[in-house]
Amino acid sequence: MSINQITRREFMRRSASLGIAGVAAPWALNLATLGEAAAVTVNGDYRALVCVFLYGGNDHGNTLVPYDSASYADYARIRQTLATPRDTLDATALSPVSALPDATRQMALAPQLAPLKPLFDTGKMAVLLNVGALIQPTTLAQYRAGNVPLPPKLFSHNDQQSFWQSSLPEGATSGWGGRIGDLFLSSNSTSTFTCINVSGNAVFMSGQSAVQYQISTSGSLALLGIGSPLYGSPACSAALNSLITANNSVNLMEAEHTRVMRRALDANSQLGSLPSLTTPFDASNSLATQLQMVAQLIAARSLLGAHRQVFFVSLGGFDTHDYLVAQHPGLLASVANAINSFYAATQELGVANAVTTFTASDFGRTLTSNGDGSDHGWGSHHFVIGGAVQGQRYFGTLPAVAVDGPDDVGQGRLLPTTSVDQLAATLATWMGVSPSELPLVASNIGNFTVKNIGLLAA
Amino acid sequence: MDSVRDEESLCAINDAINPAADETSHQVASVPEKDQLAISAGMSTLLSACGGGGGSSVAENPAPIAPPPGSAITDREAARFLHQAALAATDADIARVITLGYSAWLDEQFSLPHTQSHYDWMISRGYQGNPNNANNFQGVDNTLWRKLMSSPDILRQRVVLALSEIFVVSMVGLPVSWRGFCVAAYVDLLEENAFGTYRSLLNAITLSTGMGNYLNMRGSQKEDPRTGREPDENYAREVLQLFSLGLYQLNIDGTVKTDAPGTPLETYTQNMITGLAKVFTGWDYTQFNRDDPAFQRLPMSLNASRHSSSDKSFLDITISGGTPGEQALQTALDTIAGHPNVGPFIGRQLIQRLVTSNPSPAYVGRVAAVFNNNGQGVRGDLKAVIKAVLLDGEARTDPAAQPAGWGKLREPVLRFVQWARTFGVTSPTDVWNIGDTSDPSRRLGQSPLRSPSVFNFFRPGYVPPNTSLGAQGLAAPEFQITNESSVVAYANYMQTAIQNGVGEVKGTYGVWLAQANDTPTLVSRIALLMSAGQLSTSTLSTISTAVAGIPANSDASRLNRIYAAILLVMAAPEYIVQK
Repeated sequence: MSINQITRREFMRRSASLGIAGVAAPWALNLATLGEAAAVTVNGDYRALVCVFLYGGNDHGNTLVPYDSASYADYARIRQTLATPRDTLDATALSPVSALPDATRQMALAPQLAPLKPLFDTGKMAVLLNVGALIQPTTLAQYRAGNVPLPPKLFSHNDQQSFWQSSLPEGATSGWGGRIGDLFLSSNSTSTFTCINVSGNAVFMSGQSAVQYQISTSGSLALLGIGSPLYGSPACSAALNSLITANNSVNLMEAEHTRVMRRALDANSQLGSLPSLTTPFDASNSLATQLQMVAQLIAARSLLGAHRQVFFVSLGGFDTHDYLVAQHPGLLASVANAINSFYAATQELGVANAVTTFTASDFGRTLTSNGDGSDHGWGSHHFVIGGAVQGQRYFGTLPAVAVDGPDDVGQGRLLPTTSVDQLAATLATWMGVSPSELPLVASNIGNFTVKNIGLLAA
Repeated sequence: MDSVRDEESLCAINDAINPAADETSHQVASVPEKDQLAISAGMSTLLSACGGGGGSSVAENPAPIAPPPGSAITDREAARFLHQAALAATDADIARVITLGYSAWLDEQFSLPHTQSHYDWMISRGYQGNPNNANNFQGVDNTLWRKLMSSPDILRQRVVLALSEIFVVSMVGLPVSWRGFCVAAYVDLLEENAFGTYRSLLNAITLSTGMGNYLNMRGSQKEDPRTGREPDENYAREVLQLFSLGLYQLNIDGTVKTDAPGTPLETYTQNMITGLAKVFTGWDYTQFNRDDPAFQRLPMSLNASRHSSSDKSFLDITISGGTPGEQALQTALDTIAGHPNVGPFIGRQLIQRLVTSNPSPAYVGRVAAVFNNNGQGVRGDLKAVIKAVLLDGEARTDPAAQPAGWGKLREPVLRFVQWARTFGVTSPTDVWNIGDTSDPSRRLGQSPLRSPSVFNFFRPGYVPPNTSLGAQGLAAPEFQITNESSVVAYANYMQTAIQNGVGEVKGTYGVWLAQANDTPTLVSRIALLMSAGQLSTSTLSTISTAVAGIPANSDASRLNRIYAAILLVMAAPEYIVQK
């Protein structure tokens, strides 16, 4: 595809998305819009976003735990057997640079998140309070009255995963990571390496034009039957190569399979063997091995001509309806261990200020207990890590520790006070997306007055 | 999103959420019309079975397409049918289909006896003798591969695989005692109920320890106002979202019902989940014994003291608090199974698992009508539904006459099992030691009963982004596990498996040696069995020319010809998409 084709398509897409004009747009407008596109062009620097998705709905109640004695007492009363013992929280109680609005409140990281505490204390990690899927700012009264639009199918895993990633329920075909990628495709020498997924396919990473490239934790895979003679036959290797890359299918699924295979072979030939790092990663931690591959790809950024990249990694198992106390701590330990190694790797590579990592999940969970776990919720607390982060701070509003409290839509399910679109717009702005293009990334951002929640230094 | 989203509903939802939805959603609105055009001419008399009815329509003739008198089923047609109805097409299977015809072949398959159950096989192999196996899945992959690759009831095995991807229980997430036997017993239960009624299947699943553990109904207790404890909502939510109704009210043809502004009508609310969760309180193991896995094959039983005594409201009913727990459960399952969504919701997914990813609404409507009434007043007769799926004109029409998006990607497990059956794999010591094939960079990226979550390996409504499929609003579920790693890993895995087998499970190629000297015949025979003759002339020619370059002067070199022919067929996109 030629540059002109890309530009034309990009123009058409932007025009449609911004509601500017139909296909009969005057040429002058065309030029003006392309001029705006040029504003997104980068000048040789490098920035990357890394989404760490916690599949299943992370139990935020036991991730960021009330620590001051009054709040802890409420927490323990509501959570019953799920409550983390207070004396295990002493070492991870957080002291932000500025006090919470209610200065009597103090929060602690789960004990298993101890590896992240130094990142918070040194200003490399911030805590994002009660963030979740919203279409517009929503009060509890509005939620109950049902008189404002709400994200569809709240509390449903697949739909809320999709909404978090794309602002649409399941069936969406682009997500905000991919849509950020759309705007930077031309900044990278090889557009394939703009949105890279080290986990399974996720709508987050697909843009209108950007295609997610999936890579294994051991790197790109070589096709054995082409690399050496297939069952001893070079002719059969050639036939294999021809069959799997031939662009002659009428059937749409055959054609799509061929496209994926061609990308796989092309990318493998371009990537070759990636640089290795000295920073250790825990080989038994699947999130750590994914982040290690991200670090190796970032190490190769100059070779690949990459200036703006979005990465996606994930860990499953967070749907803790049962066994919360038995299983959730281990999951958090994996998250902390992996993110800690990854931050160290970005320091090793000298890109700590250029890489921002953030956690995400389907939804938060109920504060109440079902006896052995918690159920599907809505708003949740998350972490943002990196050298550019305004760290050792809380962003957003700390919810009350209460059932039927001011933020509770039932059983301690939090009504979010910060929207995913605000997070997306903030991260996109840091990547270099201009204010006028934020709606292309975060389709509901126009409904929010605050479009940059200040997580990151400019 | 529910599995039955069609193009119109996608558009409607887009519009509802984002009035400025981009051009994609408007393009897709035209697709149903195209599907209508694609319906084969022979189906025009059957359209009366579908439409806006809410499940009250009596089944029309479900359109079994018998071959016209005097015209025999061809080898290709028989192979194509078997690829939809079974796990492979061997020469013997093809001959049997031609002899009996499609409908009688299905009847014969319905009547085949069950072979040794998964649970019994694991006992017979002594897996219960090692106490460590209480805490692992030893033996389960073995017996799952065993039946997929060697059990003669090929229709049942195919349907069980499909059911295991709708009513999902997974080894990823069963931290319980004798977990391997728990999974084995669950799959046995799917087998026992695959040809029964939906209502019986729903009952069996609900009370199984497999589902009870996987979605946490086992051990869920009544609410406790003193501590604030609430019933576990997991099963209540997923039984409605995934196993019966889906998120939106459906017409009988699977299209989504909307209100006047075009907003989809939801089937249930969060309050109904909370209400239904109370029905599912109080159930637990029957006769738990840490030294004997037998409790894993018993249905759960009720501890009445742990069952909620509140009124339980959901859908359009309220079960009064004093109702005994067993009775409350049966009333709840009757209500769910009687909902008009079930026919189109489950019927469409069965079509997707067996035949095509994007059935026309008319096809869904015909299958749903049979679900609602098998012609003898029985609702949810799965035998009749399976027949309706496989004998429908849309399934039996020559794929050359179908639109460009018709068919389905063969999922990796199906390709691997098809190779195994087509080339007569054996496991000399009956151990079937293939193991977990989930590794997406070294194996298949998929393994039976090892879905990452209750949402299966792939969702029925998955639309691959940035594709011409997506631009047309076409779903392609299996593409959810298709990516740059998986396509290469599959080819690499098959290259080794074809030649060396996996573990002691190896192909048997002796009968093919005689054909290896004649490569065009060799390749076209393999292409018939594997792809129902759906490889193009040029693909066949490419393969046979390359294979002919391998000398044929010894059995070893002739075997290389056979290996190469199989791999090249199995790597061709024309094979990978079942049409």
